[in-house]
Amino acid sequence: MKALFSKKSLIVFGVYLLVAGLFPFFGSDYFLSVGIIMGLHAIVTIGLSLVMGYAGQISLGQAAFWGIGAYTTGILTTKWGMSPWFALLIAALIPAIAAFLMARAIAGLQGYYLAMATLAMGFIVQIVFGEWESVTGGMGGLVGIPALPLFDDLGVDFYYLVWGMVTLVLLFSLGIIHSRIGRAFRAIHKSEIAATSIGINVANYKLLAFVLSGLFAGISGGLYANYMGIIDPQPFGLHESIKFLTMVVVGGAASVWGALLGTILIGSIGEVMLILSEHFPMLKGDMDTIVYGAILVLCIIFMPEGLVPRLQKIMAKRQEEPLPAERKLGA
Amino acid sequence: MKLVEVQELSRSFGGVQAVKNVSFHVNEGEIVALIGPNGAGKSTVLNMVSGVIPPSSGEIAYRGQSLKKVAGDRYAGLGITRTFQNLQTFDDMTVLENVMTGLHSCTKSGVFSCGLKLPFARKEEEEMKKQAMQWLKLVGISHLALLKAERLSYGQLRLMEIARAMCSGPGFLLLDEPAAGLNHTETAQMTNTFRKFKEMGTSLLLVEHDMDMIMNLADRIIVLDQGAKIAEGTPQEIQEDARVIAAYLGQEEDSA
Repeated sequence: MKALFSKKSLIVFGVYLLVAGLFPFFGSDYFLSVGIIMGLHAIVTIGLSLVMGYAGQISLGQAAFWGIGAYTTGILTTKWGMSPWFALLIAALIPAIAAFLMARAIAGLQGYYLAMATLAMGFIVQIVFGEWESVTGGMGGLVGIPALPLFDDLGVDFYYLVWGMVTLVLLFSLGIIHSRIGRAFRAIHKSEIAATSIGINVANYKLLAFVLSGLFAGISGGLYANYMGIIDPQPFGLHESIKFLTMVVVGGAASVWGALLGTILIGSIGEVMLILSEHFPMLKGDMDTIVYGAILVLCIIFMPEGLVPRLQKIMAKRQEEPLPAERKLGA
Repeated sequence: MKLVEVQELSRSFGGVQAVKNVSFHVNEGEIVALIGPNGAGKSTVLNMVSGVIPPSSGEIAYRGQSLKKVAGDRYAGLGITRTFQNLQTFDDMTVLENVMTGLHSCTKSGVFSCGLKLPFARKEEEEMKKQAMQWLKLVGISHLALLKAERLSYGQLRLMEIARAMCSGPGFLLLDEPAAGLNHTETAQMTNTFRKFKEMGTSLLLVEHDMDMIMNLADRIIVLDQGAKIAEGTPQEIQEDARVIAAYLGQEEDSA
């Protein structure tokens, strides 16, 4: 029986644990909150990379699932008085169910049409958050969402809770990728006709990818509501969806590590811009959207496969062996 | 014993009738070749029998079961697999992973046992690796197992695709021009590999233009011309059939 993980992936994982684990010791409270938000984003983007990089689908409305998770926690705790832990569980499930229903409805769509349908879904969900006042609190949002018991100081403890969740989601996704399920995702990405011929139900696997991404987004959204204590419709729209998409594409869609790295990279750029904007007022406001858009365009032109796959390719080139000598057929 | 029975199969695309009332059968342990000039409807027949496109009318039965209401992704589980004329391989996966996808229909680890790496899923994964490796050995490219498929030559990709289709142990394998793009030696080697498949109990239906391969390999040949079956028989009979020579072999020999 072989080892569970290869040596190389153990090293990568070790570095990840070290960086994520030691981060809180090197920064102020402000950086801690940046780390928490990055972790929450990473949970969403890892799920999105399963949909985009592996199953080859697209979602321009991922922030909607994130928002459904946040609102589920918000409504259940503030209006129904439910325990925050139990609410978090339901906050993971409801977006997964929403993703299931959406994916069922648009199962036959491909390419531009799928992109447009997910885009529209994102708008609809955000409008519902804003207009369904009796339940969602409308544009004013929900206030007084309780923190999670045991993690209610919202500092270092919560940071570790979030990154513990990132680690779980990461390991779960890696497990899936290196299994028959992950290969089925990649197979339908390359050739639906070939996938069908070897017994893969294409529609079901697309559905599964969306459901997993909805589940992850829901977990993250629920935690976000617990962390913020107050939510309104504003962060759950197109702006955020495009940001998630940019993170995944820049890091490398066909790699969960890429999604993580892309999230940290884009998140850091956002922070740098925030700091710069104190000195350069022109960088205030929606300037970050323009920068993310520009990064997305440049990335698609010059590095369409994304950062991590590009690095892997360069590493592989360096130690590439010549093809093994061909043996005789059937020998 | 009839493994596959095709009755009165027709298919039209818009106004063009690509296949007209074609009937034939494949016996267990038999290699049947489907030949005919370009546009005769061979690939269309193959696509219908493998569940890629539905027939306009007609019946296809496998082991006595009608395939009319069977979804395309369930064919592999029943024991019907295929390869494609224009390779349909997964070039971002390793060669081994490509072949492992072929075991999808006979494995069952679910999303949670895979995600959590439960012992059952890990054991199944190891089994898949072993089995896929055996098939790579059988077709002769096991030394390439860990390379990305994109680095393989055309002939090697064909072999990989065949291993992918065979590793689930199908009863019926459909091959769409397996020798296209191969040189003489490679074709001869592939012919031997197909004989091995037959010995293992898999029946083959192949569409092919390479007459050497067909005459060497096929137990029976079905000739299509303009969507209709014009002849059926042993290689010997087909070579002597006047209609076939008129429709096909004469022209083909000139150009080949």
